Amino acid sequence: MGRVVRRTGFAIILLLTVSALTFGAMNLLGDPLFNILGPAAADTTPAGVERIEAARAEYHLDDPLPVRYLRWLGDLVQGDLGVQFSSAGQPPVADLVVERLPRTAVLLVLAQLMATVIAIPWALLAAPRVDSWFDRLSTVSTFLVVALPNFALGVLLKYVFAIRLGWFPQTYTADAPLPDRFHQLLLPALTIALPAAAVYQRLLRDDLVSTLQEEFILMARSKGLSRARILFRHALRPSLFSFVTVFGLTTGALIGGSLVVENIFRIPGLGSAIVEAVVREDFPVVLAIVVVVASVFIVVNFVVDAVYAVIDPRIRR
Amino acid sequence: MAATTTPMLEVDDLRVRFATPAGTITAVDGVSLTLGERESIAIVGESGSGKSVFARTLINLLAGNGTRTGTIKIGGRDIDELSTAERKHFFGVQAAMVFQDPMTSLNPVKRIGAQLTEAMRYHLKMGKEEANDRAVGLLRQVHIPSPEKRMRQYPHELSGGMRQRVVIAMALACEPRLLIADEPTTALDVTVQKAILDLLDDLRAERNMSLILITHDLGVAEGRADRIGVMYAGRLMELATAKDLFADMRHPYTQALLRSIPSTDMASHTRLHPIPGRPPDLLNPPQGCAFAARCRHAQPECVDIKPNLLESSGDHWYACHFPVGTSEGRAALERNETAGVTAAGLPLDEAAEEFV
Repeated sequence: MGRVVRRTGFAIILLLTVSALTFGAMNLLGDPLFNILGPAAADTTPAGVERIEAARAEYHLDDPLPVRYLRWLGDLVQGDLGVQFSSAGQPPVADLVVERLPRTAVLLVLAQLMATVIAIPWALLAAPRVDSWFDRLSTVSTFLVVALPNFALGVLLKYVFAIRLGWFPQTYTADAPLPDRFHQLLLPALTIALPAAAVYQRLLRDDLVSTLQEEFILMARSKGLSRARILFRHALRPSLFSFVTVFGLTTGALIGGSLVVENIFRIPGLGSAIVEAVVREDFPVVLAIVVVVASVFIVVNFVVDAVYAVIDPRIRR
Repeated sequence: MAATTTPMLEVDDLRVRFATPAGTITAVDGVSLTLGERESIAIVGESGSGKSVFARTLINLLAGNGTRTGTIKIGGRDIDELSTAERKHFFGVQAAMVFQDPMTSLNPVKRIGAQLTEAMRYHLKMGKEEANDRAVGLLRQVHIPSPEKRMRQYPHELSGGMRQRVVIAMALACEPRLLIADEPTTALDVTVQKAILDLLDDLRAERNMSLILITHDLGVAEGRADRIGVMYAGRLMELATAKDLFADMRHPYTQALLRSIPSTDMASHTRLHPIPGRPPDLLNPPQGCAFAARCRHAQPECVDIKPNLLESSGDHWYACHFPVGTSEGRAALERNETAGVTAAGLPLDEAAEEFV
């Protein structure tokens, strides 16, 4: 119980720090006035100045930065993410997040699932055959996939499977029926999944190789159990630590990586939203997305922590 | 050892070689052995003598870079001639093994119950309930208190002695007729050692099992085994009933081994005699007797010709050209003592021996 409280406190401090730093950074970038008013922000006529003053007052832009941050924080706690500065009519940020988040979320969940489903059997096949041709080929291909830039892999997959073979649509269409949209997300997800799978395979394979040297594996073999059973029932679980740790940490990085993929496959997701927002200096949007991403990251690693205890009874307390 | 029944274990000219980057190592070099039903044998040797490899090979646990020649028959069945279906449920059922270190031989992430019932469910196709009941019975048999509770615990929640009892219970799960215990007490406290050895003795009697006890400690072997085999550099040097071996040892290595270990029978401050030199390099094994370089009896013949394991009298076997307790042996030792050095170049003065 104390552990949960400690972890929650840690998560809150982390969120505060991340959002405060982003808040500061966005204000260093430029005067939000321009984003709210557009070219009118440079209007020096009395009417123009009046509008500028009105906007300053409405958005509290004259207050010192810490005060504005606290005000933003107060709104956030009440569920108000503010308005989009740069969009016509200044709709709520929440609308954008609600529209974009599910796509990226599905994309990433799909990608992590694929990466896991690829990596585990791959590692299980390679580990018992250290330095066999299969293991060597695995090593070479994992390095290849990891070294290949994300966009190159995405373009390559798109060319082969979408353009040449026509198995998948080339782009995402937001108003297509649900099964179609799912189908449209498979190839982008694979683009994200492959490098992640390669990293997971390396880690899992190495851990499996050392687990297989343990005496309890010899004991299991002496019981006359089949190879497959020993791998799945005895070796896999104690070998999951590095994989699970990196799985959690990668989740954060993948959100950044999804940006490129969303671009290649024209998916209007969170990744493209944050790029647009940064370019337009629309900082309520940037802040909202940063907070969402940080929260997801924290939650995932929270879960990873819990998974450790599931894997190994020795760390249960 | 009734001659009419099929022996529990027959090993004929077993050789195990390992391919290493430095060359081929012959870990087991032509071991032949027969073990009767209900019989127990202790294989004694220093580390590196090949005793553990021998034990593991019997139960099909050869490492990937190892190759085996020679035949192994368990319960009359040649393990190389088993059909795929028979093989699947042979090891772990006919023969089972207890390992040295109970701290590492149990899976740390699986409950005791799951590990105990696994082989029964896999080999004997038992249902969960039945296997659980039997596992509790097994834990009771190895004298583990509150077995129902232990079933739900993890290995780290048990002491070393308890864990070794669990390992023994696991080995017994499918009622093997041959139990191989590889240094089962080496990793345990001295106080627990005796209890575990007594337990193995009792279980063997109750279950009519044959037992192979691998140990580096002649003291452990004494009184625990019907017969004792002394292994050195992958070969059996001497094989005799326990009584004969201690009363009438023939091999200078056996003698040296016994003189190097303390015994409770000794007067206090009795000087121990370490064996001079080191075991031979298994990458380049000597041409003659493997022990010649360290042997006080060594003659030119010992350096050149490998002695075979031969039976002298009533089931007492040894591989030595100049055995202890024979006129040839005494003459050889006298010659070496007079010369002050053996044919293999080992100096024999006592002072030199002490500083080895």
